[in-house]
Amino acid sequence: MTIISTNTQEQEYTQASFQALTDAILPPDSEYAYDFPDMGVHAYIIYALDHYVSIQQQLHHTVVPLAYPTAVMLDTAAAKLVYTHQAHPSPQSHFPGGGMFSFLSRQDRIRTLAALENLYVDMYALPSPYQNNAGLVKHVTDALNRFSMFGYYSEWPAYGSTRLYPPDSRRLQFFPPGWQQVGYPGVSLGYRDFRGFLLKMGRSEVE
Amino acid sequence: MKTDPDVIVIGAGGGGPVIAKELGERGINVLVVEAGPWYGNKKWPEPNQNRGKAKMSSDPGDLDGSLYRNQFTRLENDMNDLVTGKFRWGSADRRRTPWYRNVPDRSFLYQSAGIGGSTVHYYANSLRAFPQAIDDEWPINYDDLIPYYEKVENTLPVEFAPTTSKEALFYYGAEKAGFPLNQTLDVTSSGYRPQPNAILPPNEHLMDPDVSLEELSHMEGCTLSGHCGQGCPYGPSLEKMAKRSTNVSYVPLAMKTGNVTFRPNTFVMKILTEDSASGKPRATGVQIRDTWTGEMEELSAGIVVMAAGCIETPRLWLNSELPHNDWVGRGMTTHYMDMVTGTFDAQTLMEILGSPSVNPFVGHTSGARLDYPGLGMIENLGESPGLSAQQAFGFSQYGYNILRGPGSDKWDQRGRLTGSELEEAMNGYKRSLTLLIVTDDEVQYQNRVELDPNIKDEHGPVPFVRYTPSEKSKKRRDQLAKVATTMLRGAGASQVHRSDLPPNYYIHIQSTMRMGFVVDSSCEAYQVQGLYIADNSVDYNALGGPNPTLTTQALATRTAELLADKYF
Repeated sequence: MTIISTNTQEQEYTQASFQALTDAILPPDSEYAYDFPDMGVHAYIIYALDHYVSIQQQLHHTVVPLAYPTAVMLDTAAAKLVYTHQAHPSPQSHFPGGGMFSFLSRQDRIRTLAALENLYVDMYALPSPYQNNAGLVKHVTDALNRFSMFGYYSEWPAYGSTRLYPPDSRRLQFFPPGWQQVGYPGVSLGYRDFRGFLLKMGRSEVE
Repeated sequence: MKTDPDVIVIGAGGGGPVIAKELGERGINVLVVEAGPWYGNKKWPEPNQNRGKAKMSSDPGDLDGSLYRNQFTRLENDMNDLVTGKFRWGSADRRRTPWYRNVPDRSFLYQSAGIGGSTVHYYANSLRAFPQAIDDEWPINYDDLIPYYEKVENTLPVEFAPTTSKEALFYYGAEKAGFPLNQTLDVTSSGYRPQPNAILPPNEHLMDPDVSLEELSHMEGCTLSGHCGQGCPYGPSLEKMAKRSTNVSYVPLAMKTGNVTFRPNTFVMKILTEDSASGKPRATGVQIRDTWTGEMEELSAGIVVMAAGCIETPRLWLNSELPHNDWVGRGMTTHYMDMVTGTFDAQTLMEILGSPSVNPFVGHTSGARLDYPGLGMIENLGESPGLSAQQAFGFSQYGYNILRGPGSDKWDQRGRLTGSELEEAMNGYKRSLTLLIVTDDEVQYQNRVELDPNIKDEHGPVPFVRYTPSEKSKKRRDQLAKVATTMLRGAGASQVHRSDLPPNYYIHIQSTMRMGFVVDSSCEAYQVQGLYIADNSVDYNALGGPNPTLTTQALATRTAELLADKYF
């Protein structure tokens, strides 16, 4: 079983970076925050990025973990916006351990994502595998939005303490809060909302 | 059963099982190899946990509807997650990463590995091509296809979708925009109609409160549960499941011929050939790799059919070093898509529907459509919340609404929504109607699947996928976005959001191994004898806009007939 340890600096940094990301993209704390103080979507994104790509290197099949380099990429882009006076960091971050990205306002964090997807960044200064890899930068920057929203509005947060287990070991521990928020009733056996047929197939079927 | 099959089919998605069933019925021995897992088969009770005791299955008695229902949990993350979902493009073992494809730019590639392929998560939309897109375009005529369309429509079977609230609202909007009802399967003019869907009609007791929904879900017919995209495992037995993915329709029918075996967890690495008297190579079999053990093996057959899909079929051709053809992997089309979402006031909905909400999650996920020959089509889309949010509000080429604004007075919002904008939009989910725009895109040589020169996975060089729409396709899409907006406004939407999706939203990929260029009009490769193709890749063009599956299945039916006549 994977145990996620938070005691290294790199892990703390990665976590803070993605907390800052989901804080900018996802709905602000609402009345649901009381019941579900931690939707934990940043952990979903970290898992998704670290399990997204694998390649063959000589005889070894290698997973390419993307979460840490993606966090560095966010900071590189954030720093450029700050140096060019397009974003203004606050003196302290709500996300301890994070880099420049986590010191920005929500809007400036979104501005950072926009800068990245438009490649407004020194491509050479990015960490591997993003360095001079425009296609991957755009692909992953875009995916950060999709991952955030799918993590938040799907049933994933409701796996609770089993969220980060391998998928077949996860168990739903409560009703998904995102579904509750939007009024989706969850897995259904059916609905009695049949309003007739506008057309029927004209073929003569053999019963 | 003979040790060596007469025919090996690569891929058990939309096309493979169809050709297998047709050949099996003619007494031809077929082995279908599939890269992903098999859900609903007793030989693989834990398909994501271990390899299972058996390698293959040919006995219809192995199929188990209740096992299928336990495995298909209808949970959107469990089923649809692109990284770990049961329907992802990857091996059965979900602890492993998906299989990598290099798809640069903002992109979303929606394909599924496993018995049933992408038909496990498709919405079962089963419509014919627009005749004008076939006649004088393809090497064959629309009339040539009709008997095969009819055969597939009867086999699946295909029915017009029932009306629920969201279809009623769609039809209302289409009428307000001045469109007529189009009462036909062969569409030559614009109009709206219910989707011809491969979904069994609702059971006659659906509206009877004395029959519980639990009971109904074990009876024949659609329960309007809205789980098309999650695989919908409702029905009295596996082969009577309401949603007619090929794993519950053509796969059982193929097994019943007694001549067809399916082998999951088997990735084809290479097509094997030998020189023949005709001067061109002849297919002799395939080299495979077991996705659980990594073991490699060679299998022989006189005929090989590629049905691995529009990305893997050209990749396999190239990785097999088959003869060079300029059009292998080229000319890819992908129905350049967009989405427009209207949100309605409860009062407006009360007046139109007699209910204060649309509840987009009820009924067929896509039950209504507007055909517009020359432009493409518009269909309604009612997915679960996570999928809805990420597709409608999280995926865009426009950027962020908060930074740019809508850029036109046609739309109140455009592009990605974040923070409280996102929250407000999703709070309107139950009162929303999303329209998917599906553009008839032009074939262009530079749109392609090729091998990545630098990156390999365990199955060889990975595919590199690239698509840019033509100016004509962009204009068509913009026109459809305006039509869709007019429909929503006409129906009284109080808020309209345009996603402005990136071009690289790969759902209806077609045309990477085009008829007339890579295969002849019987779908046999020009350059390799006995090598056939039975997936969307043979389509000469994008059909004018309609969803490709039914045409692929009609062509596979036709190809089986021509193949059998020539070689057996």
